Amino acid sequence: MNKRYIVLTFIALAVGAGMLFMPETSRNKEINPQQLLNAIDDPSRFLSTDLITDRLVKKDPALLLIDVRPETQFKAFAIPGALNVPLDSLLTPSSMAMLSNKDVDKVFYSNADATADQAWIIAKRAGFETIFVMQGGLNKWFNDIVKAEEPAATEPVEQLARYQFRIGARQHFFGSPEVKAEVVAPPKKAVQIIKKPVEASSGGGC
Amino acid sequence: MTKTANKMEKNRRDGSFYINPYLGGVLLGLVLFGTYYITGRGLGASGAVKSTVVTSVNVVAPEHAMKSGYYSKFLSDDSSPMNNWLVFEVLGVLAGAFLSGTIYGRLKFKVEHSPKITSRHRLIAALAGGMLFGIGSQLARGCTSGAALSGMAVLSASGIVTMLAIFGSAYLFGWIFKKLWI
Amino acid sequence: MTGPLIPMEMIPEAWNNVIAVLLGMAFGFTLEASGFSSSRKIMGTFFGYDFVVLRVFFTAGITAMSGIIYFDYMGWMDASMLYINPYYVTSAIVGGIVMGGGFALGGFCPGTSFCGVAIGKIDAILFTAGLFIGIFIFSEFYPVLSTMYNSENLGDLKIYEMLGMRKTVFAFLLVLAAVGMFYGAGFIEKKVKKVEY
Repeated sequence: MNKRYIVLTFIALAVGAGMLFMPETSRNKEINPQQLLNAIDDPSRFLSTDLITDRLVKKDPALLLIDVRPETQFKAFAIPGALNVPLDSLLTPSSMAMLSNKDVDKVFYSNADATADQAWIIAKRAGFETIFVMQGGLNKWFNDIVKAEEPAATEPVEQLARYQFRIGARQHFFGSPEVKAEVVAPPKKAVQIIKKPVEASSGGGC
Repeated sequence: MTKTANKMEKNRRDGSFYINPYLGGVLLGLVLFGTYYITGRGLGASGAVKSTVVTSVNVVAPEHAMKSGYYSKFLSDDSSPMNNWLVFEVLGVLAGAFLSGTIYGRLKFKVEHSPKITSRHRLIAALAGGMLFGIGSQLARGCTSGAALSGMAVLSASGIVTMLAIFGSAYLFGWIFKKLWI
Repeated sequence: MTGPLIPMEMIPEAWNNVIAVLLGMAFGFTLEASGFSSSRKIMGTFFGYDFVVLRVFFTAGITAMSGIIYFDYMGWMDASMLYINPYYVTSAIVGGIVMGGGFALGGFCPGTSFCGVAIGKIDAILFTAGLFIGIFIFSEFYPVLSTMYNSENLGDLKIYEMLGMRKTVFAFLLVLAAVGMFYGAGFIEKKVKKVEY
């Protein structure tokens, strides 16, 4: 009995030690260049500031807003609820783990679109999915939501609805005392969030 | 020669024979490996129970199921949650265990309990234990088969952390509930 | 024929359920034959009189893990396509602790309780019934638990990434640890009072 176990121990240790001699192959799942070009051209990778705001207000758990500016800028002002992953730390193990969850939409933003776009391309090339860019970046968001301007009376009704939505959002984020907004139903352009997540098959190994 | 053969025959039928644990471990490891190699996913157990619960609730109270944050995750319009890999796997588990029980003579209705407690105590504890395990398995998104065992095979952080939590906690609570066992 | 076969579409999806049943049968058979249909045998690991759970569990774990690592290295299988449970930190730990309590009370886990049910153990049947009730309770209380359930998602983090080591180094250490535990288990078993079950 004992001899048999000693043999087994040696086999186990040999198998284990054998693995130590394997070279470190970091096989990154990079997508091929043509796919990347097609993905860059696809306009659906841009999400509007209104849509993001709507999802933030509704506290959509499938939304992860990522601020790719340097930390100092993030601390100065950022969209409430956003996470800060500066562009140069985008591919660290912890942020890659965050990016890999396919059930969550990861939306990059920066001041304008340039840095966010770079982040998007880097992430796309590394093979991550469900990534987006918030169109117009923080500048547009700030202009739209924080400094929302009341449309003239001659503008179409949609504009008024959108304006009231933005005022409501501003109040939600910053509690602006001056404007008491009754939020009209979100503008018809906004996509209704269907809270039916993607994984309807078996939902995780048990 | 015949005496040992007879002893082996008797051993294999009276219900007390168990295969060598390391052999069992290697076989189980091969099954687990095969499962990953063929399907790309690991084994599981609690998932099938969850599918059954979701289906039952959906049959009895469909609007409640659709409105609930949890059931609705697993309901889709085209197929029943029971049409799910894990459910079929569990049917296989029942069949395989039954087969083994038949071969080794272990088919018997009984309540297994420590001599220090009554059958009734044991059954109540089993029910309570199952309820706790059910809740925990959903929180951790897996049980010992799905999260811990399969997790170790692919070196998943979630699986291994859950495994350590289960075993650590079981050691602790085991000693608290010592009387149930020894 | 690179694995994993079904995700690589080497085997048509229609076979999925047939394969599930067959693998399940092998799973159930092995578990029962090793003694996992007996709650007192299972609990032996926690009291020192029967370490079958430790031996089977870790042997199975390192066997499968080594198989995956070697096959991946030889190019026979793409390990990156294997499904990894997302790591929700709080939920995983709390769930594990709750399960440990259930384990200590009930003496089973879902897989082994099915084996017990298959051979007629009434305590296993009650444990399984408890599983249904527990999952139902969780689903009904989901609104209360959902913040914790969805918090701190680290995605498909691997354990060696979390610890900052190479995969193969961790794997080797795990094999070492397992073998060490097996020797330790044998040692403890000799010292502990025998229990009749």
